[in-house]
Amino acid sequence: MDFNDIIGYALRIGVILSAIFIILGIIFLFTFQDSNGFSITQIASPNSIVNSSIFMPYEIPSGLSTLSPLDYIYLGLMILIATPVIRVLLGIIQFAIERNKLYTIITIIVFFNLMFAIFILPILIGK
Amino acid sequence: MLEPLQFFIVIVIISALSGILGALTGLGGATFLVPIYTLYLGIPIVYASGASLISTIATSSGAASAYIKDRITNIRIGMGLEIATTSGSIVGSLTTAYIYSHNLQFIIYIVFGIVLLSQVFIQISKSKYELPKAVKPDWTTKVFGLYGKYYDTALKMEVEYIGIRWWLGEIIMFFAGFISGLLGIGSGALKVLGMDWAMNLPMKVSTTTSNFMIGVTAATGSSIYWLFGYIQPFLAAGTAIGVLIGAYIGTKILVRITNKAIRYIFTAILVFLGIQMIMRGMGFGF
Repeated sequence: MDFNDIIGYALRIGVILSAIFIILGIIFLFTFQDSNGFSITQIASPNSIVNSSIFMPYEIPSGLSTLSPLDYIYLGLMILIATPVIRVLLGIIQFAIERNKLYTIITIIVFFNLMFAIFILPILIGK
Repeated sequence: MLEPLQFFIVIVIISALSGILGALTGLGGATFLVPIYTLYLGIPIVYASGASLISTIATSSGAASAYIKDRITNIRIGMGLEIATTSGSIVGSLTTAYIYSHNLQFIIYIVFGIVLLSQVFIQISKSKYELPKAVKPDWTTKVFGLYGKYYDTALKMEVEYIGIRWWLGEIIMFFAGFISGLLGIGSGALKVLGMDWAMNLPMKVSTTTSNFMIGVTAATGSSIYWLFGYIQPFLAAGTAIGVLIGAYIGTKILVRITNKAIRYIFTAILVFLGIQMIMRGMGFGF
């Protein structure tokens, strides 16, 4: 199998997985009518007070076993954001296999930018 | 106020329609989403931008997995330009955070309106030629390996091409990334402009490579949006699903129609929404 096909499948799997989790979360939300201590009316209003700043990504896995709707939705959204990150990571491997030094370095810089935005900035800003 | 289920259905339908429009015009769904959400559904612009930025990742990744098969996307050129778009996106998202925390939202409305109206110009003056004029390679062509080839099914021939002015492409891409982070859109039109106009790449290569880049740019911005609490889960969930459905339908329609009249209707929608966004930013009604 060509490495490009692996990348194509990785992207597709990422999108499908995230859609599955998001849809599951929405189904649970309408079934249970609440999530994580918020009622569905609070969650589903245009000016909702429920947003990503009050959710810690590392708390999400524990909410999955209790079928907590918002945790499913957030996991789906996180997988969606992670898909291009995985794609860049595969890009580094691809260029390394081709022994293309310049582009291996360029892709590592792109990967660093992503890691900077996802992990380093939150520490710098102190949130 | 809408009941939760009604609200969800409305979100999915609007984002599916935006996804169809986005796929047909090549602008991406977000261009239409943010104005419709803010002007007609009373959704705060922070949440509208957050949801739309997330949705651009869905369409980019979904379409990229299909484009990889055709081998038209130039991954080398795309990845090289990502240095600038991701950096631009970080600066843009942080600027947005500053703007929102100081209640200067009107700036976002006005900039968004201007971007919409400038798209009109790009839509109208869209290059009529499939293939760029032949140019002499410059030093960046060799250093950054800006060349490639693909099989064009419409022209029934193998197209070989070279890119030039890598540095100019990078400058435009930084700006594209900045706008993407600032407004929560993919800014595909600017990315195409950078490759098509600045680097002299064929239109098909520019559009598919731009689509590939949008996902990586948006992922950078989304993580910062997440941090500041601009991702509203209910809205983002409905939007992501809706745009995915819309983009899928859009690409199916795209192969059947390439009607000029339809392009004028889209342009009219852009003008309409653009003027409304600017007026809202200046404090008139809506």
